[in-house]
Amino acid sequence: MAPPKPDRRKFLKLATSAVGGGLGLIVVAPALRLLGEAAGSTTVKTPIDPIDVGAVERFPVDTPIKVTIVAAEVTDAWTSARDVVLGAAWVRRTGDKSFEVFSAVCPHLGCGVDFDGKQFACPCHDSKFALAGAAQPGAVAKRGLDSLEHDVTADGRLRITWARFALDTEEKRPA
Amino acid sequence: MINAFLRTLGWALVFLLVVEAITGTALSAFYAPSATDAWASVAYVQDRATWGWLVRGIHFHAASVIIVISGLHLLQVVLAGTYRKPRHQAWWVGLGLLGIIIAIAITGFVLRWDQAGFWANKVEVGIAGGTPIIGDTVRELALGGNDQGNLTVTRFHMLHVVALPALAAILTVLHVRFARKVGEPRDAAQPLRDLVAMAIAMAAVLTLVVSQHGVDLGPPADPAQAYDARPLWFIRWLFELRHLAGSAEKLAALAAPAVVGGILAALPIVDRSGTPEGRARRWPYVGAATGLFAVIAALTVVSIARDANNDARNKAMAAVDKQAAHARDLASRYGVPATGPLDVYATPPMWRARTIYATRCRDCHDAASDKRKGPIIAPGHGGRAWLEAFLKDPNGATFYGKTKLAKTDNAMKPVELPASEMTDLVEALYAESGAPDVDVAKRDRGRAIFEKACTDCHALGEGVAGTSAPGLGGLGSRDYYTHYIGNPKSAIHMGADSEMPRFDKELTIVERDAMAGYLVWLRSATNSQLDALGPL
Repeated sequence: MAPPKPDRRKFLKLATSAVGGGLGLIVVAPALRLLGEAAGSTTVKTPIDPIDVGAVERFPVDTPIKVTIVAAEVTDAWTSARDVVLGAAWVRRTGDKSFEVFSAVCPHLGCGVDFDGKQFACPCHDSKFALAGAAQPGAVAKRGLDSLEHDVTADGRLRITWARFALDTEEKRPA
Repeated sequence: MINAFLRTLGWALVFLLVVEAITGTALSAFYAPSATDAWASVAYVQDRATWGWLVRGIHFHAASVIIVISGLHLLQVVLAGTYRKPRHQAWWVGLGLLGIIIAIAITGFVLRWDQAGFWANKVEVGIAGGTPIIGDTVRELALGGNDQGNLTVTRFHMLHVVALPALAAILTVLHVRFARKVGEPRDAAQPLRDLVAMAIAMAAVLTLVVSQHGVDLGPPADPAQAYDARPLWFIRWLFELRHLAGSAEKLAALAAPAVVGGILAALPIVDRSGTPEGRARRWPYVGAATGLFAVIAALTVVSIARDANNDARNKAMAAVDKQAAHARDLASRYGVPATGPLDVYATPPMWRARTIYATRCRDCHDAASDKRKGPIIAPGHGGRAWLEAFLKDPNGATFYGKTKLAKTDNAMKPVELPASEMTDLVEALYAESGAPDVDVAKRDRGRAIFEKACTDCHALGEGVAGTSAPGLGGLGSRDYYTHYIGNPKSAIHMGADSEMPRFDKELTIVERDAMAGYLVWLRSATNSQLDALGPL
């Protein structure tokens, strides 16, 4: 066979990349779109209503008590489950019916914060927080513990509105 | 001679990668990638499947050995200067391959979805989320959505099992091809040397596997329980670097691997030392590269040593190990509920009731409690022998002796009857529980005795209070207990004489019913049966 003419060669080259590229795109694009769905989608849905954590009398004044936040129902992609543990909060009773409630999620990278008897301490990267939640000098966390909204019902039960916040930022904003 | 053995490192690596592919394939037949099933399926492989611990152990420890040998291999190439042209392509592909291998190890560690894997994943995703500008998107793509869950597990599973291994396979083939492009005289003894190296590598893997009975598996992921997360040993140096970097830590964590990779990748470009000049001019590059290794090794050692000397951490970790053993024991015995791995803790028989007993009832009712205020609740409680002993001495130490009531005029008087009549009366009371083994003749005689001897104070009709003491209709039945626990101060029960608090608000009807079921079980149980229920 005679060698193809230059313009024919050009056409063949163009056509090959067009058909090949098109075929590739048809396969790859849907797969990437599927994987990319994750960005900006709420796959784990937790209820936003306040969660009952017990009677007010349960909490001694001034001593932080850790409570487990249990959601009535959570959907996680294709499963739904009842009574799901979402996380934990530190509750400090400051008066008769007044409380300070902090998420136990470290504002640094999300580890669980403990109370060492005097202050809050994160085991992972050693951030310390004062009783009132402020980050202590030397903490790698950029802000203090995140306070959670809460109220006391007429029949004397403490309810906490669970929320997660963006990690490792100076300002507290919802995640 | 030394060179001949150093050349075996590459083939030992290829061998271990094949080991990973084979063991990984076997494990994938057991692994269930979902937040509810992941831990349970790993616990099943580790503790129940035949040789599962062995395959899982080989799969885990071979990865560690691969990374160690990769480091040696890298160092050998740096010292020999064989990263230079014409082997520069092999060097670059090799660096890429090492990066992929580390990524495979990191994604694999997440899959067990125990406390360590879950919290390491949380921190890693948190760091990735700190990337400037694209951080949030990277985070969401890694998580598969807005938070850790099913789609996080499936995504890391995809990366660990499909995407990254495919990439590693391609890079391995390329690496070998590039490395062999430059022909070296083949020595007839080399294949045997290679095999010996593979055997030594495998021996190292098996030693680790046997010494740890496979590899550890912690308690299932629990978002409410803090965990002192640590990365795998080979990225420990980054953890330590962040520690040292203080406020610049995020930069350190993200930039350090890029800097190290960049320096290594640049070697073939900057190192122009040709053959005529010889080794003399290469020492700055060799020095820089080995120095980098030394720093990484030092950071790793310092970090691990600091933890080893941290008593508080060691104590916490010992508690975690204990919890893991408990969770895995329960998983082996009773299976993991389909509702999720945390529910494994609730699988021991009558767990709910026993937990309530331990937290709400024990202080006042347990023989071992020094704060006891009420009757002892123990195996046999409410049975025939118990009823007879109670009737003979209601204010005895094991019964109402510790109550305020016992010291008042309202206290019940001991019942004095001939032995046969006593047995009949006991049978009548016992029959109220609905127990299946009632002697009807005795019961009927007993009821007649009750009418004569007890009705001044008590009543036996259903739902009827006595004149001055509890109604005993249904005594010891499940319904009776549920109602009694709800409000012992009810007029039908003890009235104002009871010191026991009401539980109808503190406990749900389901919880009170579980408690009642437990009390019914206790009636015919023995101490050894109670012990056999196992720890909570």
